[in-house]
Amino acid sequence: MTDFNRDALGPPAGLVATMRLLLVEDNARLAALVSDGLEQQGFAIDRYESIDGAEHAQTIAQYDLLLVDLGLPDGDGLDLIRAMRRRGNSTPILVLTARGGLDDRVAGLDAGADDYLVKPFQIPELAARCRALLRRPGNALDSVLTAGNIVLVTAERTIRVNGQAIEATPREVALLELLLRRSGHVVAKPALENALYSMEAEVTPNALEAIVSRLRKRLAAAASNVQIKTVHGVGYALFAPPAADE
Amino acid sequence: MNSAQPAAAGKPGPSLFRQIAVRLAILTLAFAVLSIAIVVITYSRQPESLAQELLSLEASRIAADPASAEVHAGPPGSSHWQVRYVDQAFAYDAGHDLSPDRAALIDWTQSERTAGGYRITGVRTIEQDGRQRWLFLQFEGDGLRPYLPVILNEILQHAVLPLVPLSVLMLVFNILAVRRFLNPLRRAEREVDQLDPENMAARLSEPFAPREVHTLVCAFNRALGRLEDAVATLRTFTANAAHELRTPLAIMQLGIDRLPESRDRDELSRDNLYMTRLVGQMLDLAQADALMIDDAHRIDLSETARAVVTALAPMAFEQDRELRFEQVGEAFALGHGEAIYRVFRNLVDNALVHTTGANPIEIVAGPGPQFHVRDHGPGIPEAEREHIFERFWRGDRRSSNGAGLGLGIAKRIVEAHNGTIAVEDAPGGGTLFRVRLQPPA
Repeated sequence: MTDFNRDALGPPAGLVATMRLLLVEDNARLAALVSDGLEQQGFAIDRYESIDGAEHAQTIAQYDLLLVDLGLPDGDGLDLIRAMRRRGNSTPILVLTARGGLDDRVAGLDAGADDYLVKPFQIPELAARCRALLRRPGNALDSVLTAGNIVLVTAERTIRVNGQAIEATPREVALLELLLRRSGHVVAKPALENALYSMEAEVTPNALEAIVSRLRKRLAAAASNVQIKTVHGVGYALFAPPAADE
Repeated sequence: MNSAQPAAAGKPGPSLFRQIAVRLAILTLAFAVLSIAIVVITYSRQPESLAQELLSLEASRIAADPASAEVHAGPPGSSHWQVRYVDQAFAYDAGHDLSPDRAALIDWTQSERTAGGYRITGVRTIEQDGRQRWLFLQFEGDGLRPYLPVILNEILQHAVLPLVPLSVLMLVFNILAVRRFLNPLRRAEREVDQLDPENMAARLSEPFAPREVHTLVCAFNRALGRLEDAVATLRTFTANAAHELRTPLAIMQLGIDRLPESRDRDELSRDNLYMTRLVGQMLDLAQADALMIDDAHRIDLSETARAVVTALAPMAFEQDRELRFEQVGEAFALGHGEAIYRVFRNLVDNALVHTTGANPIEIVAGPGPQFHVRDHGPGIPEAEREHIFERFWRGDRRSSNGAGLGLGIAKRIVEAHNGTIAVEDAPGGGTLFRVRLQPPA
């Protein structure tokens, strides 16, 4: 029954296949909380508490993502990352650490980590980072993106608000897709413009503003509860109302 | 250290020069007394030589001033006094038979006892008007009184005259020597005044001589070394403690998130976030204190500003606030990217915490190596401006949910970059924090 319940809960939209994660963390309590939390988000987690354990685990299973603590009983997590990268292992690695010093983040990324998250953190933030890493080239893209009452099916290039399909140009769909993928975060203007330029050659300097404006009107007309905010001088961000409101 | 000690609280005691001068004076005085005592004792044991000296003294007085010889009354205390030139008698005392035997004209002195005391007779050779003459002197007296001029003269000759120049010489030497010997101490004093907790590596320069000052300075330097260790230990401890707190905080955060939804859970979660922020700031502060910008790079302040706005905009929107970024010209500076990021973040955080309302917080990079963060809040009263960069200082303790470390961290980091941070009145109201950094080489 437990299994059934978990399946009924299901992974959040966007995660097609269950991703297998390896968590290397020597604090048993924290490891249990993190893996419980991520399992609820639809990930499968294996826990090890040392570098040796992590190396051993990787010889018997293939992982989609590693979560690595830096202070481990048998060495520094950065050494594990360096060793893996030297062997040509390109599995995405997210560093989970208490080290938040000025040079620590750069040191972590230099060692070959893909992202760096300083403790303490919340599960939604961690899950979002994991998903972002799993979406990198080579990994399957989410096919259904949701936020608030909006659903975007990437393969069909359709937008539904409250279940009702709304009309939108390909560029508007592309823009909304980019914002949905980083929902709750600011997406920089150049990133959005690049995506739009690649679709059509004729893009005027104000094209992005115009597209955003039209998309806002369409969403408002369809009574969508998400907001596209302008962050002046930086970019745009899509915000959905908190889940509790639904 | 102990303010109860009078030496530390009151005015300082006498100078070394004065102490030495006083002791030298006492020594000189003692020496003079000793000399006088020796003179007195010596002559009281040898009355003959005292008699000789008495006649010689009187003879030299007459030689120096022949006119006075005729009215010469003799030394005080003499009951009988006679003096004349042997080769030309100009004074005669009938009571005495004197034989002008020129063959006997050598200096001689004779002392004999009389009924009333003693009589001293003698001849002295004197030089007068370039001519050698002989002076016959006879003297009768009693007690020590007649000898006083001789004794005083002897004291002057043997005690006072040598001691006065000696004392003056010693005084001058004292001034020069003390000044010279204390020079290393004075330099050490200047160096001690320049010691600063921000630069614990500084040491006093150790003088070669004098050895006493050398050992003192060396001992002081050793003490500085121990202090430096203690400060370093304190800083590392702060950093380590903050660091070690992060894992339990993470456990607590995740544990709270698993609780069933309730107002209590939300409050716990907020409290935990506050503590997380505080721990993060303590760590930042410890690092900012130890920050040495020796690997500064050319950084694009507009890029850093965009990253901060990107990171903080969601939080601002959650509070119905807005962040705006504007770039004015190129904004390249020399600095540590992550450190400058934290300066930005602390300033924006500060603006978010201390102001309310719909007006946006404006972040402007450039022109040149500077940026500013401006809010539309009530501004900072003039009286509070000097305090806002102090650690753990909060303008309004009730409303603020920060620890009052953010601006202190920002200031420390900016200073490590040889830059400046200042608070200004923004035109049209509000507060403007302006940071100026060094341009890239």
